[in-house]
Order: sequence, then C-alpha cells, then structure tokens
Amino acid sequence: MKRGSIIGIVIIAIAIGVIVSTYADSSTYGSFAEAKEMQKELHVVGKLNKAKEMYYEPQKNANYFSFYLVDNKGTECKVIFNGTKPQDFEKSEQIVLTGEMRNGEFYANKILMKCPSKYTQDKVEVTQTKAQANI
Amino acid sequence: MNTVFAGEHLLPGKIGQFFVVLSFGSAMLSLISYYYASTINNKLDTSWRNLGRIAYFINMASVVATGCCLFYIIYNHYFEYHYAWAHSSTTLPVYYIISCFWEGQEGSFWLWTFWQGVLGMILIFTARSWERSVMVTISLSQVFLASMLLGVEIGGLKIGSSPFILLRNAIEAPIFSRANYLSLIPDGNGLNPLLQNYWMVIHPPTLFLGFASMVVPFAYGIAGLYTKRYAEMVKPAIAWSLFAVMILGTGIIMGSFWAYEALNFGGFWAWDPVENASIIPWITLVASVHVLIAYKNSGHSYFTAIFLILISFILVLYASFLTRSGILGETSVHAFTDLGMSGQLLFYMLAFVVLAIILIVINWKNLPITKKDEDTYSREFWLFIGALTLGISCIQIIVTTSIPVFNVVFGSKIAPPTNPIAHYNKWQIAIAVIIACISAFSQFLKYKKTDMRKFYISVVVCMLVAALLTGVAVYLTGIYTNFMYILLTFSALFSIIANGKLLGDAVKGKWKLAGSAVAHIGFALILVGALIAAATNKVISINNTGVGFGDEFAKANNPQENIILYKNTPVKMNEYMVTYKGDSTSGVNTYYKVNYQVLDAKGALKEDFNLYPNAQQNLKMKQIVASPDTKHYLLHDIYTHVSSVPLKEEEHNHDGHSDDENYDEPITHQVVIGDTVKYREGFIVVKGINKNVKIQNLPLSASDVAIGLQLEVVTPQGKTQAEPIFLIKGNNKLDFGKKLDEQGLKLRFSNILPNQNKLELTVYQKQKTERKDWIVMKAIVFPYINLLWGGTIIMVIGFLLSIFRRAKELKSA
Repeated sequence: MKRGSIIGIVIIAIAIGVIVSTYADSSTYGSFAEAKEMQKELHVVGKLNKAKEMYYEPQKNANYFSFYLVDNKGTECKVIFNGTKPQDFEKSEQIVLTGEMRNGEFYANKILMKCPSKYTQDKVEVTQTKAQANI
Repeated sequence: MNTVFAGEHLLPGKIGQFFVVLSFGSAMLSLISYYYASTINNKLDTSWRNLGRIAYFINMASVVATGCCLFYIIYNHYFEYHYAWAHSSTTLPVYYIISCFWEGQEGSFWLWTFWQGVLGMILIFTARSWERSVMVTISLSQVFLASMLLGVEIGGLKIGSSPFILLRNAIEAPIFSRANYLSLIPDGNGLNPLLQNYWMVIHPPTLFLGFASMVVPFAYGIAGLYTKRYAEMVKPAIAWSLFAVMILGTGIIMGSFWAYEALNFGGFWAWDPVENASIIPWITLVASVHVLIAYKNSGHSYFTAIFLILISFILVLYASFLTRSGILGETSVHAFTDLGMSGQLLFYMLAFVVLAIILIVINWKNLPITKKDEDTYSREFWLFIGALTLGISCIQIIVTTSIPVFNVVFGSKIAPPTNPIAHYNKWQIAIAVIIACISAFSQFLKYKKTDMRKFYISVVVCMLVAALLTGVAVYLTGIYTNFMYILLTFSALFSIIANGKLLGDAVKGKWKLAGSAVAHIGFALILVGALIAAATNKVISINNTGVGFGDEFAKANNPQENIILYKNTPVKMNEYMVTYKGDSTSGVNTYYKVNYQVLDAKGALKEDFNLYPNAQQNLKMKQIVASPDTKHYLLHDIYTHVSSVPLKEEEHNHDGHSDDENYDEPITHQVVIGDTVKYREGFIVVKGINKNVKIQNLPLSASDVAIGLQLEVVTPQGKTQAEPIFLIKGNNKLDFGKKLDEQGLKLRFSNILPNQNKLELTVYQKQKTERKDWIVMKAIVFPYINLLWGGTIIMVIGFLLSIFRRAKELKSA
C-alpha cells in the first residue's frame, strides 16, 4: 500500500473519532422530568419564577444560591447553585442550566442567561417624562 | 404622516448614507474594471486597470468618509440615530467612542471593510504583475462587505444594515409620533461596561486587521489558479500569510488577555464558540504557511497548500457567519445580536466557496501535483504531516463549535458538552504534543534527503535535555499527576531546545533560519505557559465557614470558591492574610480595596500590597458588573474579583413610596397594661396610658379624645420610652405613631377595642438591615502565566523576522 493511502486512512479514522467523541460528550436539552429519570448531567432551558423567593445571603453562605425555575414544559423545580448569584439574574429572559437532579432538587453547575440587557435590547427608555410620553 | 421633528440632525446621516452607497457602487466598478483588466493579454494596455484603480480609490475614500460621519454622529451624541443611541452615551469618555464602533455589527463591518480597503491600497502599489488578478478578488470581497452596510430593501429583501438608520425608523414606540420626541431621549444606552477597557480599544482593530488580511493569500491563490501562474503565487502568498497569521494571532491573544484582565470568568481561554471561530482560520493558515514553504522548497504538496489558503479565508467567512447570524444562540456568551442578515452572510461565504471549487476543478489537470511520495526523512514530509495534524485540530474544534448549526440543518436537538473545556482539552492537548514534537525534530531534517546519523544525534541529545528539564518543571509546578500534562511539557521543552539550537546556529551566521526558530520557541512557550496556568491555577478564596444547606448540598462537595470578607477583618488564604479595607468610587466604578499581606515565620512583614477589583453598580438595573484586579509577579499572578457586593442604596426615596416600605409587614397585638410584646431584637412593655396628651399644632376640642400609650422598649443596649397617640377627632380615628430609629421600630397605638377591653398596638420593624461593609470575592493564583504572554511576544517577533526574510526574497525575485 502506498504511504499516501495509509495517511488518508489514518486521517479518516481520526475524523470519525472526533465525531464519535463529540457525540459522546454532547449533552441533551431536557426538562426537569427527564432530568429526574436520567440521573445524569443535562441542559435545562427555562424561565425564572420571579414570584418565588430567590435566596442568596452571602453572610450565611457566599456559595449558596437557590431559585425556582419553570422549564419549557411548565414544570417548576427548585434549583441550587454552588456559587454567587450571577449579575443581572432577575433580568434574565431565559436561563440555560447545566446540572443534574438530586432528591427532587436540581443542582446546577453552570448558569447561562440570555438577557435582554440594555445594551442589546431595543427598548427606548424615556426618562423623567415617562407617563406623558406613553400616552 | 408628515411630522416635522424638532432638533434632529439629518445631514450627517444623509452624507454618511451617500458614502455607503458610493462605496458599494465604486467597489462594483472596481471589480468589473479589474476583471476586464485581468483578461487583457496586452500588459501595456492600462485603461481598465486605471479605471479599476480610480474606482478603488473612490471606494477607500468613501469608506473613510462613512467612518467620519459615524464618528461625528457618536461624538456629538445625536441620539436620533439608532447606532449612537444604542452604543453610546453622553457620559462616555472620548477615547471609548472608538469602542462604540465595534460594539455593533455595522461598525465592525465598517472596520473590516476599512482594513480590507487599506490592504487593497497596499496591493495596488506593491503587487506589480499580480495587481490586476489579485484585485479582482479583493474588490469582490469589498463589494460584499459594502453591501452589509447598505440597509436597503429590494423587493422585500433586506440588504445590509445601515449604521445611519434613525432611531424612530428602527424602533416602533408611541413617543415617535411626537414632534419633540428627541427632547425626551436625553441619553443613549451607553457602551457595555465590559468594553470600556483599554484592551477593547486595540483588540478589535487588531483582530479585524487579521481577519481582513486573510483575504490576501486567498486572493493570490485564486489569482494563481485563474491566471495559471500556479507556482509563482507561492512566494507572495507566504509573505502575506505570515502577516495575516502574525496579526490575527496577536489579536486573538489580546482578546484572551482582555478576558483575563477585565472579565471575571477567571481564565484566559474558555473554548467559547466565538473564541473558537477566530482561532480556526488562524490554525489553518499556520498550516498553509508550512505547506507553502514545503512546496516552495521541494515541489511537494501543492494541492494541500492551495486548499489550506483557500479554506482559511472561507473559514473566516464561516466564523463571521457563526458570530453574526445569531445561530450560536445560547451556546455562546458573547456573540453579536442577530440583525437578520444570516442569508446575506451565507451568500457571501457560499459565493467564495463556489468560486474556489470551480477554479480548482477547471485547473485540476494542470496543477503541479507530484505523483511521487516524499522521503520519510525529509522536511517536506513532516511539514505536510504537521499541517495535517493542525487540520485535525481544526476539524475537532469546528465539529463541536458547529453543534448549533447541525441542529438547524438536521433539526436535531443536541446540546454542546456540559464541560466544554475538558472536551476540547482532551483532543487539543494530544494534538499539541504531536505538533510540538514535529516542530522540534523537523528542524534537523533537510529538504529532500537527510543525513540520518547527524539527525539522530541531534534529536536524541535534545530529547535527553528536554526530558531532564521536564522532570524539573513538572516537579516544580506539581503537574506530574497527569500523564498528558507531562507529555505536553516534554514536547514543548523539546521544541524550545531544538529550536534554541537552531537559533544558536542562526546567530553564528545562518540568519535566514532565525525567524522560524524564534516563532517556534514562542509557540512552545505559549503551550507550556497555557498548560501550567490552566492546569495549576488554584482558587485560594476557599470558604468552608458557610452555613450548611442540608446533606445533599454538603454531599455535592463542590468547592466553595467565594469568600465573604467583612471590613477590616483579616482572613487567611493560603499564605496570604487578606483584609477588605473599604471602597471608593470613581466615575461609574466602585473600587474595593483588598489588602494582601504575607508574614514570614517570625511574623515580619514580607509582602504587602493592595488590589482594587472594581464593580460598576447600576442602581436602576440592580446589578453589578465586576472587573478583576491582578497582582503580577514574574512567576505567578494573583487574580481577584468581587462576586457580590452590597448594592448601594439610592439617596432619596422615589415619589409614591411610603415610609412603610422600609419596614417588614406590621404585627398587630391586642394588649392590656402590663403586657409584654416581643420583637426581633428585644421586647416592649406596656406601662400605662396617658390621658393628658397634648399634640403640637393640633388644638383639641372637648369632644375629642387623645390617649397616649406609654411604652418601654427594652433592648440589650438599654431601655427607651415611647408614647404613640391614639386620637378620636370628630368621627375620625387617627393615630400618631412613634418612630424609634435606633431600634429600627415604629410603634402605633392603632385602635382601642372597648368591647374586649383591649388596646391595639401595631409594631413595625425595620427590614433587617444588612451590614453594608462586606464583599464576596474570589481569588485565584495563576502560576507561570507570564510564559503564555511572553511566548506570544516572542512568537510575534519570530513572525516579524520571517516576514522580513520572505519580503526580501520577493524583492530579489
């Protein structure tokens, strides 16, 4: 066999390896119900339940933050995050959590927020004269 | 509706828009002219070429004029323009106005087209016989970029997004029906605080110059195929590829330094899709430089070389598609917002893909491809293998980064890896080991045929030295527990030593080789610096004093990486005694002074320094934007950022807020004299009632009843008397409460219940006031991170040396 072909085969083998490894490492988007069944790490997309308490008291524990998230299927679950409350958390429009379910609570190790931050959102903010301006 | 709007400045926008259209038209003219110029066989006929040049000069001038108009609008705070409103504010310092340009998509497209314009100008004056054919591609790319700024709609198809669009046209809101709407918009949205950093003034221009310069090797590749000057294009392509690689590499590292200095994710590289998108074309172009050099010296690997040149620029276009189309969605933290231009971006990329494929297919039979295999002990063979390995590295990054694209194409719902850093590192460390080793031993190989004995002697000697040094290095840095880390350290050191030997030869007279040796040493230092800093960085602000939250939380056993510091209360972190000393405000930033001290065994002060991590407090949004501060040592850094701070309260209450909002829900007690009422910090004794109450400024008639309730408030600090009053005036019940600020209480004698013979006492307690003198912070030690930054500088010097060498070869050719 020519060396060119050997190199070609090796490259193809590695490329397959890459794809397999990506697929193996990849996670899934799921709901809290699926998280309960699967018992492994996954992504949950949802919205913050602003009516319920968000708990972060750094004086008690600077690394404990809990809140309630409603996933896309409408299930609500308490989420516990080992860290500080992310900046701008209340403003988040959508939250993507990475973590797993344990005893009915979701332990997140990563929180990704999609914020309609004032830097990207097109909402004109009229100061002072808001009441009049909106007529 | 023909409202005349007051206070608008429409002229600069109209001029700007005129130049946007002119730049598009002139780029088009330049494209057509250069195309015809390149088809003329008579080189003395310069009519088309001259027309192309003139059109290109007009294009350059209108691009500059567009930028000036946009700058003028932002500088003068004309918030009637959406771009100025969205990306700037009146409080923004002048030097950050430039940063506004690249916060938005339109501005960053402008930057790209500006750089491409400048590069085209350089080519017009230096490319000589290549000018006509190369400028066709440059002009074509310039047409596409100009179209991104057009902002016109043709038959329902939106082409580009103009930076000169008016706010009232960009957004629908009721206020725009008012003629004086501008007076209601006193300020713009301002620049994202994270971009208000001096690195953000220079990082994007460097990065975009890098992206823009990738088009030059591509244009040479296309021109080489198109004019059938297959081999001739290699020399200028090498020089320009080196330039692009140098600039883009600098831009990427600047971004990573900015992330390290100004962002609080605690690192310099996170394998974020946006970072990946910029490094992929860099890697392919590095590979193409090597293969081009191999081809130039041996005549092997022509196809690989041309393929890599072409794919590199296409990957730049793919990167801009990824970051600008919004397709990355929630997988990236810092992609641009979607402007609805995905179709146009895709068209830009596909046009160049099709162009490249067609030209390769047409010329396939004529390409100088050798049928013979290279000798295994030849430099060209290993340059080729190195390039392939870099290619694999790219494929791995592309596949994982493109997961959101696959989801769109195949309708699947795959999520990216939950731990992306581990996922990428698994592959990339192994690839880095191979690359570093090849970059070491192939320096001892010669083109075509190598003397085996000499080769093995040099390689074995270098390996032995490297192995020895590796032992020392892994012991000192403590990374000997991970086999891959040891292997990477070894291969990087091997590369440094082998290239160091080459550099020694260079100093003795073979100057030509210096550039390559220096660049490889720099690259190996980057590898080893990034590895050690990433593998051994250690959070020292570990906090185990927090209150527990149940077994499950304890079992999670996650590191408690944030620690609370109270003012003037020192906390020991590793060898450091860390004390929070207080805050100070300067402009929008609040700086938190954190003192670090190291005492030696005898208790004498060995080190004493302050760090000032800062946070921008935004009261309206109730958020902070934190930036770290870092103490740089030669061999390690101490990185500190605040993760949470008490929000400063606004000075005065807003209208419509009642005083009661400062208190918890009141508690009503029905009491008789002698009763004791408990509250959070103490208790209240009902002593008696006072029927002889006089109320200031309120004359009482005989039928009115005014009764005081005599209370004694007992706290650990002492006793206080209070007498709230209950009043019946006419038919109205009134009462005058008593505020005790020190105790955080408001007491109201709110009713008398004659039937039950009871008195009603309402107790308001101040919301539990938090101590406002604390910060929550995180501190990380990054060992040997200076190897990473230092390696970058060395690598850039190496590129510079190589560029000088190749440019010289070009001139002498």
